Amino acid sequence: MATSETALLDRVLEPHRPRPGEQANILRTLLAVQQALGHVPPNAIGPVADALKVPEAHVAGVLSYYPDLHTASRGRQIVRVCLGEACIANRSMHLLADLQRVLGIGLGETTKDGQTTLERVYCLGNCGVGPTVMVDETIYGRASVSDVEKLLKPNGS
Amino acid sequence: MDREGTLECFNRLNLCMAVTLYLSNDTSARAAGADCLAAAWADIPDIRVVRTSSRGAFFLEPLVERDGPHGRLLWPRAEPDDLSRIRNEAGGISLPEVPFLAQQQRAVFARFGTAQPLSLEEYRANGGWRGWERAANLPSEAIIAELKTSGLRGRGGAAFPVWHKWDIARRTSADQKYVVANADEGDAGTYCDRMIMEGEPFRLIEGMLICAKAVGADHGYVYCRWEYPAAAATMQAAIAEIERAGLLTIDERPFRLEVFRGAGSYVCGEETALLSSLEGGRGMVKVRPPYPAVAGLHGKPTVVSNVLTFGTVVEIMCRGADWHAALGTAGSKGLIVLQLGGRIRQPGLVEIPFGATLAEVLERFGGGMADGSRFKAVQVGGPLGSLFPESQLHIPLCFDTFNEAGAVLGHGGIVVFDDQTDMVELARHYMTFTADESCGKCTPCRIGSVRARELLERIEGGSGTGADLDLLADLGDTMKATSLCAHGGRAPYPVLTAIEHFGDEFRRRLPSNGRRES
Repeated sequence: MATSETALLDRVLEPHRPRPGEQANILRTLLAVQQALGHVPPNAIGPVADALKVPEAHVAGVLSYYPDLHTASRGRQIVRVCLGEACIANRSMHLLADLQRVLGIGLGETTKDGQTTLERVYCLGNCGVGPTVMVDETIYGRASVSDVEKLLKPNGS
Repeated sequence: MDREGTLECFNRLNLCMAVTLYLSNDTSARAAGADCLAAAWADIPDIRVVRTSSRGAFFLEPLVERDGPHGRLLWPRAEPDDLSRIRNEAGGISLPEVPFLAQQQRAVFARFGTAQPLSLEEYRANGGWRGWERAANLPSEAIIAELKTSGLRGRGGAAFPVWHKWDIARRTSADQKYVVANADEGDAGTYCDRMIMEGEPFRLIEGMLICAKAVGADHGYVYCRWEYPAAAATMQAAIAEIERAGLLTIDERPFRLEVFRGAGSYVCGEETALLSSLEGGRGMVKVRPPYPAVAGLHGKPTVVSNVLTFGTVVEIMCRGADWHAALGTAGSKGLIVLQLGGRIRQPGLVEIPFGATLAEVLERFGGGMADGSRFKAVQVGGPLGSLFPESQLHIPLCFDTFNEAGAVLGHGGIVVFDDQTDMVELARHYMTFTADESCGKCTPCRIGSVRARELLERIEGGSGTGADLDLLADLGDTMKATSLCAHGGRAPYPVLTAIEHFGDEFRRRLPSNGRRES
């Protein structure tokens, strides 16, 4: 980690250090780290374990368990296609295949320029207006490939 | 009059003449374009846009409403250019003209689509908070007795009698007890909890207060899944609002309530996994007993109930247990909240008494198949629910009838598939999902789901054998009988019902030498 990242990590960890008689919450801490750094780099496991006074294995265990905790940096833009059954019934698997072709990447991969990561999500509760695609924090309904293409940011922006 | 005075006069006149339009702020309304409408009309001086909860008639979204002489007027599937029509009250339809809404018997969702989600004033003016006002003055035994009379069963999927779970927590003595709202609505095809949190967040808080009073808890959590960012934000804002109003107290002692975000794990909807996650660990399922009501969060008595369950408790405290007990069927009291989705014309939320058949629901509310689609199968109860072909749609929507059929109502999700659906691909998807989301605690689920996925991948790829289908059935039976929780125990159902009803599709994928003689 760069020095600036280490300093940032220290600041993020501060409020999560357990006070006397209090139990550490690893998941909540890792979510806060990810919020600040974009992902949880494996070399943050040591500092997190130290701050929370728990074994490193526990931190690594929680980190590897949750699909939405990431250990590597991802694209600047995250495109998630819903593979819940209501969206599948409305052809979201085809939509996913089309997007893989358009972006030239597989599921879970990032374009070579580091711009876009393509992921799947199991249901965003948007079943009434599926198929659903989430681009960064925004959820779009009745989505087509051309709709999503319009939302893709050009490289560098 | 000077220029400024004229302008002010003009503005005031405009404000008097301003047309108030109602537009839902629900995630699905926004995903369908409600934000685009709000943005397009934001700077028009005589238009005031009020963002509300959603009626749940998602096929109509984005839906614009305004007050008419006899109640609200609706403009479904509105576009920015429709503003002049709406301004002139041209072409609006009234609520009775929408059979999807008019034929429902709503209670929990009765006020949805009318009020601003974060206005405590509107919530109370429309009849909210009365359930808690009544419960606050009752002894805890009386609250439990009311729930027992009501016949309410948990709405998350397990359908356990609510009074019983709460009473166990009440009877267990401890220095600390917790109330947890299970807002990890992971079943694909369901969204009623999300709608409650985004549309009437004070209802969930009210239900949790009633529970806390009944069991003697002073600390609560809303465990909200990562996939619901708007719901979590709305709940947080509502808790802050309730605290500001000084209403987050039980017997004049503060009730501490927090929102906790999950991180994308389906199994965390199972109550013991949820509590492991809430403690900050891996979302692993635990062997029960002890049940959370005896030893839950940090080993203390903890009630984990579903968001819709809390929402329904509010109605029961407000309207009385007899109201609830008189609705539905003998074994399934009250109203069922169905969430229709898939290839139907009218996807959306339906609240009706238990007992209607699947066919009635699909016809009366689903409005038939989407254009150009033909019915193939319907799945009830989320990704762990069974598939039903056309010949089985006469089954009534009740806990017992579904139980007898080896199926589950789950959280009320209904997904319709059309004739374009590849059942082999769908079956492989189910097992991919199960394997992806298995917590790994028990072997039948951890290994079984991966092996079943591999078998289905082989069949899908055209290299399976008849023996693979037999093995899949055998493996499914093992998973059903020996898995620790419903994730592994129910996962075989959609796959095996797909093979049962659409076996030809699977057998056609086998190479000719693998085809069975029968």
